[in-house]
Amino acid sequence: MTYEPIWGAIIAWYLFLAGLGGGAFVTSTFIRFRHPECHGLMRIGRVVAPVAVCIGLVLLMFDAMAGFQHPLRFALLLTNFGSVMTWGVVFLAAFVVVALIVAVMDFMKRDVPAWLDILGTVMGLCVAAYTGCLLGVCQGFPLWNTALLPILFLVSAVSTGMAIVLLIGAFVKPDEFNRVVVLKKFHFWLPVVELILVAALLFVTSANPSPAGWASVMTLISGNWAVAFWVLFIAVGLVVPTILECWMLWIASHQLETSRTGQMVSAASDAGVLIGGFVLRLMIVSAALPITIVQPWMF
Amino acid sequence: MMTRYGMLIDTTKCVGCSACRTACQRQNNLLPDEDFIRFERRETGKYPNVKVETVPLQCMHCDDAPCASVCPTGAAHKGADGIVSVDQGRCIGCLYCMSACPYQVRVRNSQTGAVDKCRFCAVQTEKGATTCTCVEACPAHARVFGDLDDPDSELARTIVEKGAKPIAGDLTQAKVYYVR
Repeated sequence: MTYEPIWGAIIAWYLFLAGLGGGAFVTSTFIRFRHPECHGLMRIGRVVAPVAVCIGLVLLMFDAMAGFQHPLRFALLLTNFGSVMTWGVVFLAAFVVVALIVAVMDFMKRDVPAWLDILGTVMGLCVAAYTGCLLGVCQGFPLWNTALLPILFLVSAVSTGMAIVLLIGAFVKPDEFNRVVVLKKFHFWLPVVELILVAALLFVTSANPSPAGWASVMTLISGNWAVAFWVLFIAVGLVVPTILECWMLWIASHQLETSRTGQMVSAASDAGVLIGGFVLRLMIVSAALPITIVQPWMF
Repeated sequence: MMTRYGMLIDTTKCVGCSACRTACQRQNNLLPDEDFIRFERRETGKYPNVKVETVPLQCMHCDDAPCASVCPTGAAHKGADGIVSVDQGRCIGCLYCMSACPYQVRVRNSQTGAVDKCRFCAVQTEKGATTCTCVEACPAHARVFGDLDDPDSELARTIVEKGAKPIAGDLTQAKVYYVR
């Protein structure tokens, strides 16, 4: 039997946007404490965070067809605290409330209390990590059922969150973009860590007792998803950004780094990170094969 | 002792005719694209000595049911009688249970969006019915329904006699046993 993935592109978009929103809020708090003078970039993060997560949630509700037709049933989401999804709802609700309050306070030019930013950051990290746990508890899919996945999604979420803030910042606030060197150097390391995590995930998954682990990994690196995996994820999403940022941050002259050309090179690297972040979610959701379809009789 | 409903499927008798699946669709009034029974086939051996095994898979009514533990709304749950069911009025259609089920035997109703699966209909719908529709419909008598806890039941005796086991060992403490 051919296997049709249970979750599709809509869920991949949701996982991507939830991570990106959480990461954008983390970025805004990072800027608040490390680059407090760059208020424009901070505001970009504070706006992107609730907007991205809310778009993701609308997609999610639309995908949950039975709930979409009977919206009151969504209230039942808080009834089973043994479910990762229920925890996700708690984190998402808290995050969206905090992120919206922070965004409104920012626009009203009120000082956002530090504890509120820290609370939002913690919730943002929880949202990002939960998206990995959501898939991670499904024991039928070797590609998901590993503790590496939440870590990979968390790192990718922070990376995409920083990338979106820097990408918009390069066009809207070019002066501030040149000043946030510490943020850029922190961001540089995330795709590097991701490369290690992805390699680890693939090695561990391929050694799963079920042949579904090996089959999932092969689907990614040499099967239907090979082009997306090598070109869009590994090259565009991780390696090229690492090379470009390495060039800009450590090799290029200060003059080139802060020129319009330098900014566009950084922006291209950030766009690559965003593409890679989405493709990662899409591949993980779509390429995972369940143990019982590959060989239901091998137990 | 409490009744613990279970089923046995003898794949050495199964001819893969799908009579159980169509009977189940009629009994449970399912949509044409909604199946509670899925067939997996395996060929072994080399020509001309080839053996084809048909394995009908359906909800195993696991004692340790992953669908119930991940369901965020409590729609998927295990009842006091040990039968795993889906409360159609609580399901939001997030499909988390479908991802959590190691057997991939849950289906989404394309009209309501809610998830459904084998209900052990003898117990759930037909009061006084002695067996499930699929058991009755099987022309090869490959299926037995009954009480796992009653050592004298046909089910318990056949399991012992033929050494039947759940399809995935003790993965989820499934209550559907297979003769292979």
